[in-house]
Amino acid sequence: MTTAADNSTRPQRDWTAMLTVPAVAYLAVIYLMPLVWLLTKSVSGPDGFSIEPFMHFFSDPYSWRVMTNTVTIAVGVTLVCLIVGYPVAFALAWSRGIVQAALLVAIILPLSIGVVVKAFAWQIVLRRDGIVSQILVGLGIWSEPQRLLFTETGLILGAANVFLPFMILPIYSVLKLIDPHLREAGATLGASPLYTFRHIVLPLTLPGAVSGIAFVFSMSVSMFVIPSLLIGDRFQTLSTLTGRSFLLMRDERLGSTTAVVLLAIAVAIVLASTWISRRLGGRS
Amino acid sequence: MTASANFLRVNAARKSFGQVLVLGGVDLAMPRGELVSLLGPSGCGKTTLLRIIAGLLAADGGTVRLDDRDITTVPPHKRDVGVVFQSYALFPHLTVAENVAFGLAARGRPKSETAKTVARFLDLIHLSDFAGRSVRMLSGGQQQRVAVARALAVQPKLLLLDEPFSALDRKLRETMQIELKRLLRELAITAVFVTHDQDEALVMSDRIAVMNQGCIEQIAHPLTIYRRPATPFVLGFVGLSSRIDGRIAAQSGGEVAIDTAYGRIAARANFAPGTRAIVAVRPERLRIGGDGLANSIAVRFQDLAFQGSKALLHFDAGPSEQILVETADLAADSLKAGAEVTLSWAVEDTLVYPGPGEGAPS
Repeated sequence: MTTAADNSTRPQRDWTAMLTVPAVAYLAVIYLMPLVWLLTKSVSGPDGFSIEPFMHFFSDPYSWRVMTNTVTIAVGVTLVCLIVGYPVAFALAWSRGIVQAALLVAIILPLSIGVVVKAFAWQIVLRRDGIVSQILVGLGIWSEPQRLLFTETGLILGAANVFLPFMILPIYSVLKLIDPHLREAGATLGASPLYTFRHIVLPLTLPGAVSGIAFVFSMSVSMFVIPSLLIGDRFQTLSTLTGRSFLLMRDERLGSTTAVVLLAIAVAIVLASTWISRRLGGRS
Repeated sequence: MTASANFLRVNAARKSFGQVLVLGGVDLAMPRGELVSLLGPSGCGKTTLLRIIAGLLAADGGTVRLDDRDITTVPPHKRDVGVVFQSYALFPHLTVAENVAFGLAARGRPKSETAKTVARFLDLIHLSDFAGRSVRMLSGGQQQRVAVARALAVQPKLLLLDEPFSALDRKLRETMQIELKRLLRELAITAVFVTHDQDEALVMSDRIAVMNQGCIEQIAHPLTIYRRPATPFVLGFVGLSSRIDGRIAAQSGGEVAIDTAYGRIAARANFAPGTRAIVAVRPERLRIGGDGLANSIAVRFQDLAFQGSKALLHFDAGPSEQILVETADLAADSLKAGAEVTLSWAVEDTLVYPGPGEGAPS
């Protein structure tokens, strides 16, 4: 941050940084202050500063189960989004005119539908006599109808549905910047389409995939409403546990501890993905 | 190896995009080692033809043969046809050496051989010191050379270049043209070169194919293209010319006499008397003064464009006509606007084309 004094010798002051004042003020009140409160709360015992809540949290096997649940679900959601979203980004980037517009609407429009509304749709789709179960039985993959609702698989499928656009769009935006002649150049140099994909297209889309992964992972690691609606109390993640601690158990200490652990995981992901992107970007 | 005139042979290549006919049955035949330019205005189909030869675009009809093999339906990566793209299309995530090595690696050549070939081509383009650099750090001219080296490193049977100099400034462009021509000669590369720049085509080519509206209007040695343009389009597209409207007055033994607003002009051509015709002369073939040359006209001087080593003199002419004289004699700038001047030229320098609404010469 530059201060006005730094620039006093310059003939012209640069006021560009002032443009961020509303955003900074907003975030300070809405985000920074509660965060500081939360962090303080997580390290304060009855006699002042204490890391005892963390010691207690990490020594409890139940905490580890919750953390494993959280990360497993997030990894699953991210993988489903990557596998489904990566090809879609290509379809979006390489299609033209009305087809492209239709694809874009199909990807963006569901974002405007609330998660609660979607959750009810999934309840219909994922229940024992729902369409997914019927199809799998029809195909002979399942011997008898099963319920996907209130299972981990159901949660992963539902969450991936919500977060898919956040995987597609960063990959699409990187793809759009790739000179279409690069693939042709690969072909005229004697590279098969597969070789060209492996050595040109894939490396150039990696930064997009990394930011997509970071988006989806950090959102699914901290989602609260979707697991509450799709799996219920039986299965706890860090954010549902945080919510329960504050809202139901009135245990602010546990709540702020789990919140800070979750925050640490999210920050680690953001830092790691930024670092990976930089490295990939440095090469490309 | 016989110097077959059919090393590359494109037969009746046709292509339309929707309702628009881009290529209307083009034929092109080239011997091994030749450098042919496709010259024409944008939209004439030259890039489309190039892409069809490369296999990057499927033609609606016609065939492409290369080195006695029908490659019409062969995918681009199995054609052995290299391309230098207008945007260069260098792989931005790879270094200079990795770009040049790409084609060799894709063909699974042994590493030691690849390294040797890459070193040789980097040396040829004077970029050995840049081998480990990212291609993004290079200037436009350097990128262009890397694109050429990358395409040549796999030793393709045919090299296609799509306006490879268009992104460079004029001075650099002229240096690169000479440099590339020398390189292609040295390696005995057969190449097709797309350009809209007539000077570039004249400098680079063994033969120029002038294209217009999806057809090749004329394909010939650059000197022939300039001296004896086959059609009014070629005349107008390559170089400057003086043009006068007229009507054939008489024809005998391969010579015609043409009546124009400036008097009777003689030319070597075969046209039926009575047909309308356009008489044309290249500006540097016109002399100021009588000189005893066969054709002469009296015209009024209009103004002068000084171009350094030469000057272009403009004279009064009819609405669809143009009278230009190029001269290195700069005493000509003593001419006053409106002064009456006699211009003369030889019969063999006189070009005749059918006038508007007339068919081709009989």
